Amino acid sequence: MKRLLSAIWAVLSSRAVPPLVCGVFLLIYIGIAFGTDDTLIALMAFTRKSVILVVLLALIPLNSLCLMLKETDRHLKRRRAKNGDENDAPAGLFDESIAVPASPEFAELRGRLEAEGYNCRRKEGVLAAWRGISIFPTRLLFLAAVFCLFTGILVSLTNRSSHRMNVVEGEPIPTAEGGGGLVERIRLEASSGVILDKKLRLEVAPSTAGDGRKVFELYPPSLYRGYFVYPRYLGFVSVIRFSAPGMQSASEIQGALNIYPPGKEDRLEIPGTPYQIVFSMVKPDDGSDPYMTGRFTLLFTVLKGKEVLFRGNAPTGGEFVHEGFRLAIPDFRRMVITDFIQDYGVLLVWTAALLFMGAGCIWLPVRVFLPRREMVFLQEHDAVNACSRAEGRRRTHAGVFHETLDILEARRPSTP
Amino acid sequence: MVAVKLIPLLISWFGIVLVLLRGFSGRRFPVAAAGIAGFALGVVGAFALLRSYPGELSFGIIRGVVAGVFLLLWGIAVAALYRNTMREFHVFQGEKLVNASYYAVIFTFTASIIAGAICTCRLPAPSGNILALLLLVLVAVVLAFAALAAEKMLPAYLTVSQPALMAAVVALLLFSASSLIRLDLFSPLSMKVMKFAHDFVHQFFESMLIPDHLFIRTYLWGYIGLLFGNGVGFWGGMIIWFTPVVLILLAIRFELLPSVAHIRQGAKRRKLLAAAIRERRFRLVVPLLALLVFAAAAYRSSYPSVEYWDPVPVPVMANPAGEIVIPKQGEINLEDGKLHKYLYKQGGKEARFFVLLNPSGQFTVDLDACAICKPDGYGQAEGTVICYYCKTLIPLETVGKPGGCNPVPVPFTVKEDGVHIDGMTIINSWNMTVQATARIKEGGK
Repeated sequence: MKRLLSAIWAVLSSRAVPPLVCGVFLLIYIGIAFGTDDTLIALMAFTRKSVILVVLLALIPLNSLCLMLKETDRHLKRRRAKNGDENDAPAGLFDESIAVPASPEFAELRGRLEAEGYNCRRKEGVLAAWRGISIFPTRLLFLAAVFCLFTGILVSLTNRSSHRMNVVEGEPIPTAEGGGGLVERIRLEASSGVILDKKLRLEVAPSTAGDGRKVFELYPPSLYRGYFVYPRYLGFVSVIRFSAPGMQSASEIQGALNIYPPGKEDRLEIPGTPYQIVFSMVKPDDGSDPYMTGRFTLLFTVLKGKEVLFRGNAPTGGEFVHEGFRLAIPDFRRMVITDFIQDYGVLLVWTAALLFMGAGCIWLPVRVFLPRREMVFLQEHDAVNACSRAEGRRRTHAGVFHETLDILEARRPSTP
Repeated sequence: MVAVKLIPLLISWFGIVLVLLRGFSGRRFPVAAAGIAGFALGVVGAFALLRSYPGELSFGIIRGVVAGVFLLLWGIAVAALYRNTMREFHVFQGEKLVNASYYAVIFTFTASIIAGAICTCRLPAPSGNILALLLLVLVAVVLAFAALAAEKMLPAYLTVSQPALMAAVVALLLFSASSLIRLDLFSPLSMKVMKFAHDFVHQFFESMLIPDHLFIRTYLWGYIGLLFGNGVGFWGGMIIWFTPVVLILLAIRFELLPSVAHIRQGAKRRKLLAAAIRERRFRLVVPLLALLVFAAAAYRSSYPSVEYWDPVPVPVMANPAGEIVIPKQGEINLEDGKLHKYLYKQGGKEARFFVLLNPSGQFTVDLDACAICKPDGYGQAEGTVICYYCKTLIPLETVGKPGGCNPVPVPFTVKEDGVHIDGMTIINSWNMTVQATARIKEGGK
């Protein structure tokens, strides 16, 4: 049982796990690529449905956790060995370990190592020397980032739910249970930001269900009843009154038109008739944004089946008349086509991005300018157990270590 | 002419044998014998395959094998980097296998089968010309013996590590494959990378709830738009192409030096380390050469020496009923199996299309554009048409079927007097396709 557990631990805490898992996913990706053009989407869907693939992907965050534990344990053991709390330096903790049959001359060694720029600590039977900063905290940050990233991906893949709905001015914000607060106002403004060109604000009044007043902006997205509010496209909800020769009465329909920015087309069918109308917005001559100002002219093409009957335009609130056809736009309201997304994996991925940035910012200067180099000399009976490791500038450090061993050897009392 | 076309492939074969002989220097004769036998089997196997399945399937299988070998190189490169730079991976379980005598024979035999199959595909009528096949095997045998002699002349210090051996063999196989557009890997790889970059950015934006291009500054979206371009496919493909060899180079360069802590004479220690470093440097030579061969393969793939049939589009007019009628016989013979391009203009709009009689004897009329790429058009070569933009090969049998990078089919009728196409349909279809591909160019939104 112990051997089995030890084997499982060895596998889970192996640094080979992430490339192996990524390799398997790469192979699956390639396999899927033979069958479909939307390979990434197909792979995501495939992973979502397959328990085996989910478990396989989960191995990466699990491996990160195991590595964090393993490396913390190794770090602490090395620290104890350096402090002289351990009589024996466990094998595998250092790059080089050697027993030199010599009586220690630690005072001289200390002097030489300090002259080389090492910090030294001497305890009874132990001399530890080190310089530079350990990369261990950065490594922990990196592993935590990997954990967050892959856990985030896993959570997103398995638990994400998304509903696309229209948020319309003057109507309650759509929710699964209903009873959302009234959308009082939708505002689009120019932004002076470096990334975003426009600012979008959705102001929602308190609801009868107890939700407070909310204002949703573009980024970072806010939560409403556990769902991220993710605005996608802009448009208008217009009331269209249409009558044609032969129709007994005018049809009045309220339609959501996804026609922003100007030039984008959307289509409305007049129910119970063969007519359909293709709408778009005219780009204002003064360069203003029709969504911001609320003033725009609608371009439309009226079709009967596939036959184009006529084209025309009418301002909001206006009317167009042509050979017995009448089209009026008595009312319109702003609309935001919004995805309501329940996905807490996003938070983990954001955290991972921050941790990766933190790890990178610390790792680079430490690795380049102050890599950790350390050596420990432990006295054991008539011999000195010498260990050394370096996270950078290995050869220079090894040179100092080997010369130190030469000194130890040279001071060895000659045997009769 | 055929011999000239085969020269690069035979040089590759010579290189493969040479590097295998040096890589398994203790087993020179079994390796040479396995190489010759493998090559002959590859030739026979490819001959049988091409005879049984004359279409794209045979080429697809051989290309799949080459792709598999490339993937294997990726795995080996990653493993080599781990093994050489981390002490915990220093004890490699496969060491026993690699040192076994049968490993050299199996490795050589497999590589030679692939090399033989690729050479066979390069022959003009690979499924019919037995004399050419025999001649090919004979030349391969001569070259194998030449390599056996040449290997003896190489300096002894030029050693090859196992990952470097794999890199060199795969590089030479890919170089051979790059001379045939049907076996080439680099162009389809670039296309797949471009598609992946597009899908990834799209999914990343959606997953991270990042606002759409509607709200993002134009200059910034311009930078993001670079990720959707052809350049991403090419450079991404280059990264995937070269990374395994670069990883192997890094694995050798950063290979841990032997521990010399037990040696008490400084001079002896330095000598030992210097020897290890020198040996490490020499082991970099073969993967560096492999890197050059990979570059040559990518170059050949990007600038293939194949000449495409690409006629200048002939202007056509519609009759008063709005129909374009193209006679079957006349100045242009529509039934010659070649692609014939036409240009139709109407009211300031124009559309390019082609008419082709496919191998099953059916006419097909298609736009000279697909639904994915920029409308750079198509050329015809070796039983396929090629999309000039993404260099995807489309077998003639599938031209006329919609989807992917296939030319967009257009409705038409075949009558006594020729092929009839509705002018308005052509213009509308072209406009829709060009608009769609322009959207992809602008950012895929």
